[in-house]
Amino acid sequence: MALLEIRNLKKYFSGLAAVNDVGFSVNDGEIVGLIGPNGAGKTTLFNLISGFHPPDQGKVIFAGEDITALRADQVARKGIGRTFQASTLFMQSTVFSNVFSAFYRQYRQPGWKAFLHTPKVKREEQAIRKAAMDILEFMGLAALGGELATNLPHGHQRALGICIALATEPRLLLLDEPLTGMNPSETMEIVRKIRQIQEKGITILLVEHNMRAVMDLCDRITVLNYGRKIAEGTPERIRKNREVTEAYLGREEA
Amino acid sequence: MTTALFIQLVVNGLVKGSTFILIVLGLDIILRGTKILNFAHGQFYMLGAYTLFMFCRLWHVNFLLSLVLSGLALVLVGALSYLSVFGVVQRRFTATTPFTYRLLMSAMASVGLMLILQQGTLIAFGTAERGMPSIFPQIITFGDVRLSLEKILIILFSMFICFGLYLLMYKTKLGLAMRTVSFDPEIASLQGINSFWIFMICFALGSALAGVAGGVIAPVFAVTPTMGTHIIFTAFLVLLVGGIGSYKGAILGGVLVGLALSFGFHFLGGISELFVFVFVIIILIFKPGGILGEVLD
Amino acid sequence: MGKSLINRKMSKNRLIFGGMVLAALVLLPLAVKNAYMLHLFIMAFIGIVLGMTFSMLFSAGLITLGAGAFYAIGAYGSTLLSTRLGLSFWAALPLSTLITGIVALAIGSIIVRHPGMAFTIISLLFAHVVIQAAGQIEFFGGWGGIIGVERPDPLGPIQFTTKTSFYYLILFLLLLTALVFHALYTSRIGRIWRAIKLSPPLAETLGINLYRYRLLAFVIASSAAGMAGSFYAHYFQMITPEAFGGWLSIYIQLYAVLGGLEFYILGPAIGAVIMTFVPEYLRIAKEMEPIITGVFLLVIILFFSGGILGTLQRFWTAKKTSVLSGKEQL
Repeated sequence: MALLEIRNLKKYFSGLAAVNDVGFSVNDGEIVGLIGPNGAGKTTLFNLISGFHPPDQGKVIFAGEDITALRADQVARKGIGRTFQASTLFMQSTVFSNVFSAFYRQYRQPGWKAFLHTPKVKREEQAIRKAAMDILEFMGLAALGGELATNLPHGHQRALGICIALATEPRLLLLDEPLTGMNPSETMEIVRKIRQIQEKGITILLVEHNMRAVMDLCDRITVLNYGRKIAEGTPERIRKNREVTEAYLGREEA
Repeated sequence: MTTALFIQLVVNGLVKGSTFILIVLGLDIILRGTKILNFAHGQFYMLGAYTLFMFCRLWHVNFLLSLVLSGLALVLVGALSYLSVFGVVQRRFTATTPFTYRLLMSAMASVGLMLILQQGTLIAFGTAERGMPSIFPQIITFGDVRLSLEKILIILFSMFICFGLYLLMYKTKLGLAMRTVSFDPEIASLQGINSFWIFMICFALGSALAGVAGGVIAPVFAVTPTMGTHIIFTAFLVLLVGGIGSYKGAILGGVLVGLALSFGFHFLGGISELFVFVFVIIILIFKPGGILGEVLD
Repeated sequence: MGKSLINRKMSKNRLIFGGMVLAALVLLPLAVKNAYMLHLFIMAFIGIVLGMTFSMLFSAGLITLGAGAFYAIGAYGSTLLSTRLGLSFWAALPLSTLITGIVALAIGSIIVRHPGMAFTIISLLFAHVVIQAAGQIEFFGGWGGIIGVERPDPLGPIQFTTKTSFYYLILFLLLLTALVFHALYTSRIGRIWRAIKLSPPLAETLGINLYRYRLLAFVIASSAAGMAGSFYAHYFQMITPEAFGGWLSIYIQLYAVLGGLEFYILGPAIGAVIMTFVPEYLRIAKEMEPIITGVFLLVIILFFSGGILGTLQRFWTAKKTSVLSGKEQL
């Protein structure tokens, strides 16, 4: 069963089609890669799926439900989490605070009780604190809990972004270039983590430029160029696809 | 209503509108270019009027020359303001700090500047109104209609300035640089554009526009130290109506608000201002971006 | 762990210090009998409440220049309730607070949809409109305002004939507001506001409805301002539009910035107290006051953007070698 289905998605910016009639699907439990040269429309596609821009045409179907018209926060509440290309974090907060604040959907106690600081609320917050620490430990950031996010080196900032997304307990995780700017050992670590995330049962849609990682991780790959889908299939198929190689050779990469 | 009255009200409205347009275009250029909400902008308008008064009335310089000089004076004031205050604030609070902080810090700095300029002028010149004799006292008549030449010239002058601005922004390299910087400072620096200079130019240009508006209006209306605070509210209103970030919107908004105030004042008196404000706020409910603008965050 | 020991010690010190300040404030009228001094304290306390309303909106990422508007709405509401409907202050206070909240809900639901610069501009215009309306419309007393607002009825043995009783009343209201606000800030609502302030897009990916929480902050803050307005009306016993306009909304911002923007309660407290008392002691000519304020404001923004408390905190953490966990800095 397809967890996420994209149908005929179109998005125009100032008359130019950033996403032009794109359609594909992501099955439950898969890691699907979304690749293409710079400017191919990958991040725009993410923005369309996660509700940050409304598409001009087409549909986004998640777990059988049409979520095309939903706002970003509504999409998040349906169970789609995402990271951002730039380090979008709560910069003025500590690492721990970033992840602790990321828990929102999980609260069962109502807001007014939270205001009154009832014992049940306190217990709930304790549990969530623990869950936040667990996520930090999973991603290897536990020791940095007290550091300000803005002081972190780039690699750790990206890892923190993933922590925040994980805190939302997503069914589908949209990872936007998680490996950018990472050295080889950091890259290996994150690749391992991504696999572990999949093992937890989270479906992943991955935008990435690092081809080795993409071929390594993904069950299937979709290729975009100039806003259109030019290929789709398993890593071996894509590797042999001439059109894909030409698309990359013909354009400069970042 | 007679045709004569109607035309008179329209002309009055356009004169008011012209003032607003120049002020708001200046505000918009600063806003779009540097993302600074400049509350001292009204004071630049006032300073334009006062410098014109000084050159023209006190030192007996020819009116047109005075206008140019006062425009230049405001360019200087704007550049200095940027160098000493806003530039420093902008460098301190870069793109990594949340927008809220950047907005607040530069807005509060502009408030500080506003207080200083306003009170400083009041102390220097006293609270009394300064009047100037009309530079162009002639009246034009068409049948029943009597229009003051001065007012027509103000309208024409504003159109001239708007056209000049259009040429600058869309037909020159400098204008392209300004637009690129306001769109995305990173792309701009990749293209080798020095953002700092562009910010300063935006600020100086915007201030000069306000100053010129003040200078042009000085012979027609009274020059007082509080004219800045008085007009800034309506200027912000026009900015919202036309849409933050839309030059065409500023022009359209200026015209509409000017006309509304002119007609409103004639029929309802002082309370018309209130109605126009409320009406505009209601428009904003349904057209959040203003009539033509985008909602700038 | 070493860190929690430091925290516990600091909290204990803070509590003791806070307790002493509180005791001093409560005992103050016994030592200070000068009516004008008490008046200054009362105005300072009102200023603190108003400053806190600015800070609450700031905590959610909104910069308001319209605090004066709701201060006015509360004052006028309470005045009209008591002068036209004969309600006692003790009924008018909660009612006018409620009315202010309802107005805030109505206005907020429109303007909170445009965050950022648009919100700030609209809030400024709204404040302007409210003052103009109060001045132009006869029902609200016009520019001359409304006089003869009744003092509060005696509360048991407490008569409201001297400044002292008003002092305690506003101190009580202030502490109540501070308590409520503190409870909010330390709850997950406060954390949500902070998330919205620091990064609205990221907050959205967490499932947070930005509009709803911004509106909540707006309504709560504005209601508090309305409550302060109601107190002011019955304390001063007359209201004029000018009392709520002019530089007021700007000074309110200044309280928060001066004290320290990140300190949503103590910041405005320090800022309001300084801004109320220092001008009195400096004996500056009235006409120099705005210039001094302006220069002061510029100096703070350029050199001490963390405000007094922020700068102190930076001093403190620089002295310590370890990073305090959970401490947020500007």
